[in-house]
Amino acid sequence: MNIGEMTLIELADNIKAGKVSSYEATKYYVDKCKEKASLNAVLEVFDDALDKAKEMDEKIKAGFKGKLAGVPVIIKDNILYKDKIASCSSKFLEKYVAQYNSTVVEKMLNEGAVIIARANMDEFAMGSSTENSAFGVTKNALDPTRVPGGSSGGSACAVAAGLAPVALGTDTGGSIRQPASYNGVVGIKPTYGRVSRYGIVAFASSIEQVGPLTKTVKDNAYMLEVLSGGSEHDETSLKIDVPDFLSQIKGSVKGMKIGVLKEIESMIGGLEVENAYRQALQYLKDNGAEIVDVSIPSFSLTLPCYYIIAPAEATSNLGRFDGVKYSRRSAEAKDIDEIYVISRSEGFGKEVKRRIMLGNFVLSSGYFDAYYNKAKKLQQKLKNEAKEAFAKCDVLLLPTTTGEAFKIGEKANDPVSMYKEDLFTIMANILGAPAISIPYGKGKNGLPLGIQIVADCLNEGLVYNVADFIEKGYRG
Amino acid sequence: MSNKITIEEVKRLAGLSALEFSEEELEAFIPEFESMLELVDEVKNCDIGEVEVDYARHSLAECREDEPKESLPQEEILLNSPKTKKGSFCVPKMLD
Repeated sequence: MNIGEMTLIELADNIKAGKVSSYEATKYYVDKCKEKASLNAVLEVFDDALDKAKEMDEKIKAGFKGKLAGVPVIIKDNILYKDKIASCSSKFLEKYVAQYNSTVVEKMLNEGAVIIARANMDEFAMGSSTENSAFGVTKNALDPTRVPGGSSGGSACAVAAGLAPVALGTDTGGSIRQPASYNGVVGIKPTYGRVSRYGIVAFASSIEQVGPLTKTVKDNAYMLEVLSGGSEHDETSLKIDVPDFLSQIKGSVKGMKIGVLKEIESMIGGLEVENAYRQALQYLKDNGAEIVDVSIPSFSLTLPCYYIIAPAEATSNLGRFDGVKYSRRSAEAKDIDEIYVISRSEGFGKEVKRRIMLGNFVLSSGYFDAYYNKAKKLQQKLKNEAKEAFAKCDVLLLPTTTGEAFKIGEKANDPVSMYKEDLFTIMANILGAPAISIPYGKGKNGLPLGIQIVADCLNEGLVYNVADFIEKGYRG
Repeated sequence: MSNKITIEEVKRLAGLSALEFSEEELEAFIPEFESMLELVDEVKNCDIGEVEVDYARHSLAECREDEPKESLPQEEILLNSPKTKKGSFCVPKMLD
């Protein structure tokens, strides 16, 4: 079997068994990254990748058996890997070199991963198309005239285009799941706290998570097990045992209760994704699952709720970029005020500035209660409503996006239309709940659509079980 | 549109944000910002009744013991700064 045809698990097994060397696998994927450079999925292929692979081959010969022993991995450009640039696709951090490893990188290295490249993204993870990168748009892996989605567009494109068997993304409002859907790959946003955020450049700290993008659901479950687990450096990460997610994939949905949101039913009529969504439901029903009607009455407010909480946190998190501590300082600045203002004005892109401004608006005197405090109350209300819904079902089935990937430039000048890309994905972030997107069905141009499975917090096992079952039944 | 915003208000926000915009950028920003406010106003205008907010993120989070531990070396941290001097971040003189 060709290296590129192997799933992550197959490749890991073959390397461990000595049938493929880490060097061969790494060389294969490094060459693919270079060959498909026009996709602009990766910003940098690390020049030590092949040396690291050779080192890993020696370790494997000496008996090392990590879960990712010798496996090439791509990381999103906001994840710190010691001595490598992590630019967040921003001019501000263009030359920023990580001085320590993020927890997820540390965990992957401990299991023997070879990190080969950093993937393009929307600047500071703000966007749904990867058009906001300061280093050029990434193209959709299946149609180069279309966006790959975002903000983890580079990571999703990389997996779909065969540049790596797995890539890491981050998801604050749908930034793993929407690009996964647009490129026809699998992506999960884990439960908030399941994966440590230590060493991830912060955007909206209370709702974002790191997660894997893979070719299959089982690969995804395998990878999430590596990434999961608390860190002493991240108070919000959960210090609990990491389950064996793969063993929770049972190969059956018989007797499971699949929740259908009343609010989705009223929105989905006529959308491109409608048929795929209904077929997936029917498939689960035909195979012994029970379809249950449930309601989260405030669902339609998840999008505006997010656009208060996320910019509020972003404006606070991005306050640290002041032209003093991190890489960029404007050559025009003459005094300290100019260092702050001119460095920030030159360093941040348009969308980042929009969100900083919106964040300061909702946090400013006179508006704080009306917007930010109200949004936090609404978030609690949504959690209460979801609790009632999950008391009646095991998982919820939702579409990931309204349709297939849109054209590059199509929504570039209409921020609110771009924000609505995350209509179906934001709820999981507001709830802190795990949610996966898997490919299911095709749109009118033959491009992939995605279906989401959402469970109550810490129930990734249920999510993976249903996702795997749908994946097996779908012959795209 | 429910929420009209003035150029003065945008300038005030730019000040709070430590950002500067040209007059042209400001003009272009206003309609975009108004449509963003229209979106978030759905939250301001909704009736959510009485809700008790649980500010504890989740019950499983634990604080670590407050013990000093080894941190990153000062010289490494300073490597990313655009200008340093004698182990410090360096900025122009602020006080006369």
